[in-house]
Amino acid sequence: MQTLFNIVVFPGILYILAWTVLLFWFFRKFMAALHKRVGPSFNGPMGTYQTLFDLSKLLTKESITPKGVNPYLFSLMPLLALSIAILPTALIPWTPDITVAKSSYGLLGLVVLIGIEPFILFLTGFGSNNKYSFLGGIRILTQMISMETSFFLAALSPAILFSTLNLNSIIQQSSWLSFAILLPGFVLYFIALLGLLEQPPFNIPDAEQEIVYGFYTEYSGTNYFLLKVSEFSEFMAVFAGAVTLFLGGYKGLFFDGFSFLFAKMLIVAMIMMAIRASTPRITMKQMLMFSWKYLVPLSLVNIAWIMIAKILFFGGM
Amino acid sequence: MDTLKEILSSFESEYIENYKPTWLKVKIAHSADLLQVAKALKESGLKTISTVSATDFIEDNRIEMNYFFEDMLNRRNCWLKCDISRELENCKIDSITPLFKGASWHERETFSMFGVKFTGHDDLRPIIISQDYYGKNPFRKDFDWDTHEANTVENINLIADSFKREEAENEKNIDPNSSETVLNWGPTHPASGPIRLKVHCDGEDIIGIDPDIGFVWRALEHLVTKKDFVGAIVAVERLCFMDNINSMLSYAQAVEEIADVQITEFAKWMRVILGEVARISSHMMGMGGFYNAMGLHTVAMWNMDMREFFLDFLESYSGARIATASIEPGGVRYPLQKEMLVELQAALDKFDNTKEDIRAIFVKNPTMRLRASKLGFITEDEVHDYALCGVVARASGVKTDIRIDEPYAAYDKIKMDYVTQENGSSQDRLIQLFQEIEQSVDIIKQAKEHVEQKIQSKEFNPIKDHMVKVPKKLPKGEAISRVEWARGEVLMHLVTDEKAKSPYRLKMKAPSFNNTMMLNHLLKGKTLSDIPLVFGSLYICQGDLDR
Repeated sequence: MQTLFNIVVFPGILYILAWTVLLFWFFRKFMAALHKRVGPSFNGPMGTYQTLFDLSKLLTKESITPKGVNPYLFSLMPLLALSIAILPTALIPWTPDITVAKSSYGLLGLVVLIGIEPFILFLTGFGSNNKYSFLGGIRILTQMISMETSFFLAALSPAILFSTLNLNSIIQQSSWLSFAILLPGFVLYFIALLGLLEQPPFNIPDAEQEIVYGFYTEYSGTNYFLLKVSEFSEFMAVFAGAVTLFLGGYKGLFFDGFSFLFAKMLIVAMIMMAIRASTPRITMKQMLMFSWKYLVPLSLVNIAWIMIAKILFFGGM
Repeated sequence: MDTLKEILSSFESEYIENYKPTWLKVKIAHSADLLQVAKALKESGLKTISTVSATDFIEDNRIEMNYFFEDMLNRRNCWLKCDISRELENCKIDSITPLFKGASWHERETFSMFGVKFTGHDDLRPIIISQDYYGKNPFRKDFDWDTHEANTVENINLIADSFKREEAENEKNIDPNSSETVLNWGPTHPASGPIRLKVHCDGEDIIGIDPDIGFVWRALEHLVTKKDFVGAIVAVERLCFMDNINSMLSYAQAVEEIADVQITEFAKWMRVILGEVARISSHMMGMGGFYNAMGLHTVAMWNMDMREFFLDFLESYSGARIATASIEPGGVRYPLQKEMLVELQAALDKFDNTKEDIRAIFVKNPTMRLRASKLGFITEDEVHDYALCGVVARASGVKTDIRIDEPYAAYDKIKMDYVTQENGSSQDRLIQLFQEIEQSVDIIKQAKEHVEQKIQSKEFNPIKDHMVKVPKKLPKGEAISRVEWARGEVLMHLVTDEKAKSPYRLKMKAPSFNNTMMLNHLLKGKTLSDIPLVFGSLYICQGDLDR
C-alpha cells in the first residue's frame, strides 16, 4: 500500500504532474514580473487555469510523426526520457521519513540518472530526420560532455566532506559550517546545472533563433507534452539534488519538513529565472572555452579545498 | 559642386541644372556614356549609389533610368538620368555594379520589375518577385495585373514546382560524402520574419548565404499609382509599420514640391514631433529585436512597456496607434489639442524614469559585449561602397544624418549633432540605437517647448494651422525627397503626369535592402550562432525590404 502510494501520489506521478503545472505557472508569473508583462488574468484566480489549459491542449493536439523516421523510435524516446527523468525522485529524501528507495549509494544513483538524460535527448534529435534537430542533438552531446565534468566534480564535494554517498546522512550531517565550506561547490554545481538543463546563458542546444528549438522541432502534441514533463521532472531532480547536497535538504529553522525543501527548491528556481531574464545566450565556442578553461579547473580546486577543509574542521574524518 | 559640373559637362548632356541646395540634376544624352560618367563621379568623391530606378514612359516609347549618386560626407549629390529603349531586346544598359557594389540588388530589382538588362552584372537573377512574375516585368505600364491575378492556382503551382526543383537541385549539387548542407533560415523561422536565407553550411560553419526575399512584396510602388495623392499615404506608410510617419513625411514633401505648396510653420514643427515619436517607437523595437536574436526577451518587453506611452500619444493625436495616416500633403492631418501634449509629456517622463535601468542592465550587458563586440564589423569604406545609411552607417563612424545634411520640416531650427560610434561592430549598432533614442527624446523636448511657447504667444493656432490646401490635380513634374527614417535614408522619387490625379511612378528606396545585401559578406566563415545576432543588429524590417 505504501509503495503504491509512493508510485501514484507522492513522490510519484501525481506529484510530478502537480509540480510540472505549478513550476510552469510559477516560471510564467515570475518571468512576467521581470518582463513587466501582465499576462492572462481572466482564466481562474490570477490566471492560474491558463497553464492547465495549455497542458491539456497539448495532450489533445495531433501528434505528427514526420516522414522518413522510425515511428516507434520517434515515439518511444519521449517516454524513455520521461521515465529516466522521474527515477531520481525515488532516491531523494523528501522528508526525514519518506525516501522511496533507501540506498547507501543515493548520490551515485542521482548523479548517474541526471547524467544520462541528455543522451536520450540527443537520440530524440538524431531520430527526427531534420537538419535542425540533428544539429541540436550534436550540440547537446558537446555541451553535456563539457558541463557534466564539473557537475560530477561539484556533486562529489559533499560526499568527500561527509564520507558518505547516502543522501539522508548527508542531510543529517549538514550544518551552517558545512554550508559555508560547500558554498563554492554549490556555485559550481549551479553553473553546471544551468548547462545541463539548457538554461540561459547555456541554452545552446535548443536555441530557437539559431536552430529552431533543436531536438524539439519535430515533436508535437502528446510527444511534446511528454518531453516538456520530462524537462520539468529533470528540473525537479536537479533542484532537489542541489538542495539535498548543499543546502541541507528538508532541514528547517524550527522544524524539519517537506515545506523547507520545497521553499529552497523554489529559491534555486528563482535564481535561475533571474539569470534567464537578464542574460543573453552565448555561443558554442564560448561555452566550451568557459567550461574547460575556467569551470573544470575551478572544480578541481574546489575538491582540493574540500579535502583541506575536511582535515581542518572535521579532523580528517 | 562646381567641380562636379565641370566633370559632367565633358559628357554630352541634355541639361545640367542645380536642384535643391545639395543636388545636381543631369540628363546625359547617350546611355553608353553611363559607365564613364559613373567612374568620373566616383573618382570625384561620390562613392555611394543610393538607388537605381526606372520610369516607364509608354507613350514616348522609352524607359528613363535614374541614378542617385551621393557623397555622404560633403553634402553634394548627383541625380543622373538617361533614356533607354523600351523594346525588350534593346532594353539594355551597362551595369555599374563593378564600380558601386551597393548597386547590385537595385539593378536586380530594376531587371525584375522593368526587364532592363544590365550588361556586366555578374548575378542578374530576379529578386523580390515570385516565380510566377519572372520575365513578365510587373511594373511596366502595359502589364495586365487582373489577368495575372485571375490565374491564382496556376501561379501557386508554378511557385511550388520551382521550390521542388530547387530542392532536387540542391541534392544533386552537394557532394554526398561531405557534411555540407543547405539550411533554410526562414521564412517560418522563429527569428527570421518573412525572409529566407539559404545558408550553405558545413556543420556549424557557414560557407555562404544567399538571401531570398520578397515574401511580403505588396507592390506598394504600384499600389500608389491606383490611388489619389492623399489616399496614397496609406500605401506609403505601410513601408514599415515601426516607423510609418517619416515615410509619409517623405512622400508628402515630394507632392508639395510638385504642387509648389508651402506648409505652415506649425505643421513643420508637428512633423518633427510626430517623426521623432515614430523613430523612438521603432528604435525600441529594434533594440528588442537585437536581444530577441540572442534569446533574451526582457528588453523587448521593457521597451514595449515604454513604447506604449509613445503610442498613447499617437493614438490621442490620430486615433490609431500604429498605422496613423497622420501626415498628408499640405501639413499634418489633425489639429493639436492641449491634452495630447500631456500624453506626450507622460511618455517622456516614463522614458526618463526607465532609461538608466535599461542602460545599466542591457546596454552595458557583459554577456552581450562578449558576443557582439567581436562580430559583424562594418568599416567606413564598406558603408560608402554598399550604400549603407542611418543607424548602421553612424555606428561605423560615418557622419551622415539627413536631418542635418539636408534639413527638412523644422530640423534646421533644432539643436542637434551627429551621434556616432567608432568600431562598427554589432554591439556599436545596439548602443547607437539607444543613444539615438536619447537624442530623439531631446529633440521632442525642444520641439514641444517651442510649440507650447508659440501657442501661448498666439503665433501658432493649433486648431487651424495644421493644413494648407493642396490641389487635387497636380501639374506634370517630378521630385525627389529624402528623409532620415528610423533605419536610415528613405528616398522617394515621384513622377506625375499632366493634370494627374494619382502618381505616375513612385520609387521608394529604403535602407533594409542594402543591409540585407551585406549579410553574405558579414557572415561568410562564421558559425550558425552568429546569424541571428548579425541579422538582428542590422535592424532589418521585411516591410521596407520587399515593399
